[in-house]
This record gives sequence, C-alpha cells and structure tokens, in this order.
Amino acid sequence: QGTKLELPLWLAKGLYNNKQKILSVELPTVYKESWRTVFSADANVVDLHKLGPYYYAFGSQMLNFDSPENAELAQTILQTFISRFRRIMDSSQNAFNEDTSALVARLDETERGLFQAGQKGLNDFQSWEMGQASQITASSLVQNYRKRKHSELDA
Amino acid sequence: MEASEVEFLAEQEPVTIIPNFSLDRIYLIGGDLGPFNPGLPVQVPLWLAINLKQRQKCRLIPPEWMDVEKLEQIREQERNEATFTPMPSPYYMEFTKLLLNYAADNIPKADEIRTLVKDTWDTRIAKLRLSADSFVRQQEAHARLDNLTLMEINTTGPFLTQALDHMYKLRTNLQPGGSAQSQDF
Repeated sequence: QGTKLELPLWLAKGLYNNKQKILSVELPTVYKESWRTVFSADANVVDLHKLGPYYYAFGSQMLNFDSPENAELAQTILQTFISRFRRIMDSSQNAFNEDTSALVARLDETERGLFQAGQKGLNDFQSWEMGQASQITASSLVQNYRKRKHSELDA
Repeated sequence: MEASEVEFLAEQEPVTIIPNFSLDRIYLIGGDLGPFNPGLPVQVPLWLAINLKQRQKCRLIPPEWMDVEKLEQIREQERNEATFTPMPSPYYMEFTKLLLNYAADNIPKADEIRTLVKDTWDTRIAKLRLSADSFVRQQEAHARLDNLTLMEINTTGPFLTQALDHMYKLRTNLQPGGSAQSQDF
C-alpha cells in the first residue's frame, strides 16, 4: 500500500476501477500543471517527439482515469494541436525536394502522419505540373516485391 | 484523387478548333462530333483537340479568358479581395498547362499567360491556407468555400481532412463521458 510504481498504460487501465480503489494514477510530468503552462505559452517551440512520441494519443488515454485535472488536460491537448497546426501545414506544403528530417524532428507521431499527407499533396501536384504524372512508373507495391521474377529464374 | 485524374476530367471540356481536313460527323459514346470542314471552326473536347493538334491537323482557338488583359484583371481582383473570386473556367489550371504545352504556337503571349495564371494560383493557395488556419483556430464546425476549383481542393484536401479528423477526436475528449470513446483512439 502506498507504493509508487511505474506501470505500462495497459496494466494501469486494467487495474483501475472506480469501485475498488486498487490504485490511483499520477499524471506523467508532461501532462502536469507546470508543462501545461509551457504549452499555453508557445506550443510551437516544444519538442513533442522528445517528450513522448505519442503526446496526443497518450494524453487522451490519460483521461480514462478520473482525475480532477481532466478538463484542463483535454483543453491543453486540443489547444496545443491548434497552435501547432499552422506550422505543420506550411512546412509540409512548402518543402519540395528538400530534406524534411529537420522539419519532422520535433513532431509527434500523429503530426508526422499529417505532415506526410501534406507532402503527398504537394508532390502529386508538382509532379503533375512538371509533366511527370503522365509517365507510367512501377507501383510501390511491385517495387517491394521480394519474390524472384520468372525472367531471373530462367537466366 | 490524383492530379492526373483531375486532368482527365478537364479534358472533357469543349474548346474551339479550326481543322485543316474534312471528315463526316463521328459518333462517340460521349456525343457526336463534327462534321469537320477545313477552315470552319468546330467545338470538340479538349482531349481530341490536343490529339489533332499533335498530329498537326488543326489550329486551336484559345478560350476567351486566355488573354493577357483579362488575366491581369483576374489576378488583381484575386489579390484585392479577401474571398475567392470566381474563375473563368473550373479547370483554368489544367487548361493553361495543356494548351501551353501542346499548342503554344496558337496562343499569343504564351509565357505571360503562364506567369499570370501561376500568380493567380499562388494567391489562391495562400488564401486557402490562411482560411484553413483560421478555421482550425476558431474551432468552427463547418465552413463555406465558394469558387474553389477541383485541382485546388485536391492539393490540400487529404491533409485538411486528416487534420480535422484528428481535431475532432481531441474535441470529443473535452466532453465528460467522451473519455469512454477515446479508448479506440
């Protein structure tokens, strides 16, 4: 009783039950008051990938445990996303034929998915404009095909 | 959708050509075309016009709006107004690209037209981004964007819908009882 333990989220969720107080959950530091003020000051400078690559998803999971800070936490996560949105949109749709690793480094995993979607839109349009879209290329599925082709077997 | 699919749709649009051969009316699934007489202007879909042009069987008449003065006017209007202005053609970008690539010799001042259309496009994309940002910032539930063309929607569409999906999930967290749903995040 009274021991502090680090448990994986799935186990904590399984053990957590409103009726029997087997355990109570302490919020990870990133979601605590002190970090929340950092996010509300300027969310753009924070390195979300370093703080936890699944900031949004994990934060939403933390809401499963009834803590008094839930409402503020949910609000902070949403506001963080909103204030970072513009930068993700602009960087993903302007970086054409560039090394994007520096742009992506500070993004959370969900944001990276978004970044990829933006890049795809840009690349599609640019390749169409330069007249490369009409050239037929091998599908990405075929390129990753590991099996040997018939022609190679015969040789 | 891909850009080339949008281009395919644009190729259904009619343009006027002046053929230099004669041919009877031809019957196609999409409608009848012709008859073609040398020197007489006739309306055909863009795909046929480009095909004939590549075989040097016709002269292309550029659409009315593809004119330096008109395009300058459109560009200025687009820059001055905060909302999207109506475009002369729903496929203006595709038209410019196809016509200037394959029939540049039939279009006066082709280079200027290319720059003007590109400028207009850039202005519109910047506007689109600005409005997407304010849409997200104010957490609106719906917005109305008039006069956008398919190609423009196509470039930001997947990104924007994915971002809004994501924001919707974060917003359901705000409601009490919404936490039960967040399990299938």
